Amino acid sequence: MEEREQQLPITTNSSTPRQTPTTGLNIVATSKVLAWLSNLTRFHAGYFRISLSLCGQALLWKTLSEPTTDAHALRPVIHTLPSAAFFFLWSLALFSLVALCLLYAVRCLFRFESIKAELSHHVGMNYLFAPWISWLLLLESTPFLHPKTASYLVLWWVFSVPIFVLDVKIYGQWFTKGRKLLSMAANPTSQISVIGNLVGARAAARMGWRESALCMFSLGMAHYLVLFVTLYQRFVGSNSLPAMLRPVFFLFFAAPGMASLAWDSISGTFDNASKMLFFLSLFLFASLVSRPALFRRSMRRFNVAWWAYSFPLTVLALAATEYAQEVKGFISDALMLVLSVLSALVTLALLVFTFLKTRDLLPHDDPFAPSSSMSTAFVMPTLQT
Amino acid sequence: MENKDLQVQLSTKQGFPEELPSLLKCITSQTIAGFDSVECGGMNYQTQLVTIPNPQEDATAGKGLEAAELHGQVNVIFGPPPSSPVEATDCHEPHAISVSMPASPSGLHIVQAKKVLFIDKAGPTAIDGQPNQPSDSDSINSRQPQQGKFHSQPISAGNSCGKPTEGKVSDPFESQLRIPRNDSQRDKRFDPFKTWSGKLERQLSNLRGKPQEPDLEAANDCHSAENETVPAVDRYFDALEGPELDTLRATEVSVLPEDKKWPFLLRFPISSFGMCLGVSSQAILWKTLAISPSMSFLHVSLTVNLVLWCISLALMATIFLIYFLKIIFFFEAVRREYHHPIRVNFFFAPWIACLFLVLGLPPSVTVNVHAAIWYVLMAPIFCLELKIYGQWMSGGQRRLSKVANPSNHLSIVGNFVGALLGASMGLKEGPIFFFAVGLAHYTVLFVTLYQRLPTNATLPKELHPVFFLFVAAPSVACMAWAKIHGDFDYGSRIAYFIAMFLYASLAVRINFFRGFRFSLAWWAYTFPMTGAAVATIKYSMEVTNVLTQSLSVGLSAISTFTVTALLVSTIIHAFILHDLFPNDISIAITQKRPKFSKKLAHLRSASSDMKDIEASLPKNNPELEL
Repeated sequence: MEEREQQLPITTNSSTPRQTPTTGLNIVATSKVLAWLSNLTRFHAGYFRISLSLCGQALLWKTLSEPTTDAHALRPVIHTLPSAAFFFLWSLALFSLVALCLLYAVRCLFRFESIKAELSHHVGMNYLFAPWISWLLLLESTPFLHPKTASYLVLWWVFSVPIFVLDVKIYGQWFTKGRKLLSMAANPTSQISVIGNLVGARAAARMGWRESALCMFSLGMAHYLVLFVTLYQRFVGSNSLPAMLRPVFFLFFAAPGMASLAWDSISGTFDNASKMLFFLSLFLFASLVSRPALFRRSMRRFNVAWWAYSFPLTVLALAATEYAQEVKGFISDALMLVLSVLSALVTLALLVFTFLKTRDLLPHDDPFAPSSSMSTAFVMPTLQT
Repeated sequence: MENKDLQVQLSTKQGFPEELPSLLKCITSQTIAGFDSVECGGMNYQTQLVTIPNPQEDATAGKGLEAAELHGQVNVIFGPPPSSPVEATDCHEPHAISVSMPASPSGLHIVQAKKVLFIDKAGPTAIDGQPNQPSDSDSINSRQPQQGKFHSQPISAGNSCGKPTEGKVSDPFESQLRIPRNDSQRDKRFDPFKTWSGKLERQLSNLRGKPQEPDLEAANDCHSAENETVPAVDRYFDALEGPELDTLRATEVSVLPEDKKWPFLLRFPISSFGMCLGVSSQAILWKTLAISPSMSFLHVSLTVNLVLWCISLALMATIFLIYFLKIIFFFEAVRREYHHPIRVNFFFAPWIACLFLVLGLPPSVTVNVHAAIWYVLMAPIFCLELKIYGQWMSGGQRRLSKVANPSNHLSIVGNFVGALLGASMGLKEGPIFFFAVGLAHYTVLFVTLYQRLPTNATLPKELHPVFFLFVAAPSVACMAWAKIHGDFDYGSRIAYFIAMFLYASLAVRINFFRGFRFSLAWWAYTFPMTGAAVATIKYSMEVTNVLTQSLSVGLSAISTFTVTALLVSTIIHAFILHDLFPNDISIAITQKRPKFSKKLAHLRSASSDMKDIEASLPKNNPELEL
């Protein structure tokens, strides 16, 4: 992949308001608030990676502690963990998700231009699925809501409709719109749209709504097929990903992993198709992990793209859990253990990094801000997308 | 004097400028206006020898225009101390350095001279099959026409270690400048392709008690150190052409002498394993014919399978051994083969052939095979896959849209064959794993090949037997799925019908499969036909009627006939035409495009008559870029 990082002109304080003709203090206070607000609205959709990871972890812990999970190896470990720990994690995930949603809502209000730019950017547009995926994962991992209740159903609809809408928009663009050719716009983050469909399918299957589940599953898989081939072909001249975004390559094995989970929920058992998808996911994971040089450049400085490592690992661990349930054997249990521990460690490490290096994580500028000199179509996000 | 090639011979052993070896004197006396192919003492190039400082030189220097130019530069040549040899070949040979002198006195210092150009202006003089034969100028006639050569060499004795030469692989040319030497001496031209650049071989000869060659060969190693990088994938596309990327373009040169027969190991390509694939798949076919209930009307005995299996086992062992020797002695060549966009797929062939051997195991030998064998055979396939598919996904220039070619099917089929074998042995999860991986990547490859993207540099423009590899994957996949699933259900049938369609689609175009040069890789293209035949037999076990049975018989007959025809061709090429293993040009491409590639192409297409060229030489303007 060619890495090209382009620095965007930093548009600082583009939303500085007119000075009110009041006292100096008022002016200062107002401008401070507004400056703070402006900083706040720089959080672009890429930050939802954090909530995605945390909600995924919550789901993993919940699945591991379910009594149906025949986790011989993990049983002692899981039982030593107090359920309070799980509740804490769940609350953290909820809090992060709510906070990010609020921030994004504020951004919608104040920087609508940026939102529009984000929607048309080949990387940014895929992260608009991320909040809905996070909500769905959180819903599935809720300790107090059973899938067969009405509120679960309502919430599922609330979170899936936006996914449908985004699907229609983005997939429709792939094969109809002139300039946004898939061959040029396809990049590993496009798999997030596929994952969105698959998460919706899984949640629906748990509710018992098999037809909706199957519908979303087939939507996701059809487009996944196209995307998989396109991404593997790596057309010369396609929009390449900046080196900072290399962690999103992990999405390559998140998609088949999620597909395996979704099919497992739909068909009831972890049958051959699910196994095949799980193995594909495992192979791609091995393939990426054996190429550390690919990620070297992105690991120099902490940035929000690092959070892209956690969610795919969590999905893989979840799939391994389901697999171990089906194929009760030493190797499958070991695999489940290793992957779960790995995903937990990675998430923990990222949390620690976030708390220690919060400054690095905060957005320094709005990469999607339309500047006067550049057209929005040309905007390429830099480090922090 | 248009010929600007100079050959400077420094006599280091005999000291400098003392008495010149007889060769030099001989040469001097022959260098009259011109170039000449100096056949004296085995120098076959029409290079003008300038012998340095000796009184005779003035005589030569006085001749011709360039001599004057040279004169000034000649002195420069003598910069390096005479005792610093460049390459030593024999103790009694003077060390030769070749420098190229620019036509214009642009000041080429010997220490900076990087290239020596020996182009046959005359087109062809010179290169004789055995450069070490002492011959006289008449041997000029014996060289091959239209062989331009671009040799680049490091210059200066002793300094070359520090100087990266541009054209890399400089060493081979050293020996061409040689003066008479015995045939028993090692040909150093192939050193860069040897393991550790010939050090291993020297060690082995030491161990065997052969006379130690002078230590100046250490300089050799320095040069070889420059050859560590393999040409980038783009170079392979630029320099080679043909459906198997094995023909050198007219604008390119090979770093190894094209006229001489290279050492056997160097000529032994990885695609020879295709023979194992072909023969072992035949063993499987005859086994299936013998044990299938729907084919029992043929009354085929299992002996055929046993015989074929033993033959393929022996063949496999032989080829494995030879290639193993090649890895030991010519590791560089193996590396270059690994980086070749088509040959890399053949690295799967040994393991697939081993899998075939286990699949075709005659029941009389053994019935139960230990599961460990499967893991052992699949491990190399797994590692190779991780590397190759990972490259498709994220590996720089080797993007699939560029390198996809039908030979890539070899990297996919391994998965399905492994799944088939594993399922036959009773394993459960492993076969599904490989089936899944193979299926996913097969989809990608299939779409890409069907697209025939314009950016794809490797697709053969015309039909070539390599296209039969298309049939391999679906037919083996169908059998594997049937074994995994337990019966020949819809999934297998879908795959089977796809395979049949592709087969039919190629078979009706049989007329287009003409006019290709036979190569050992063709053996690899027979196993898909055999695979299709076996799949048809399995299908006929499921759906038994006259149509399927006759189809089985027909396809088996076609496959057996093709293999027999290939066998006959191979024998003819091996024993009658003696060109079964031609020089493997595709691994000997230069790192960089030769500078005067256009002129080279022009030269190569020039008249092959040496005399004409010789006659026309004085009129040519030397345009050699140095």
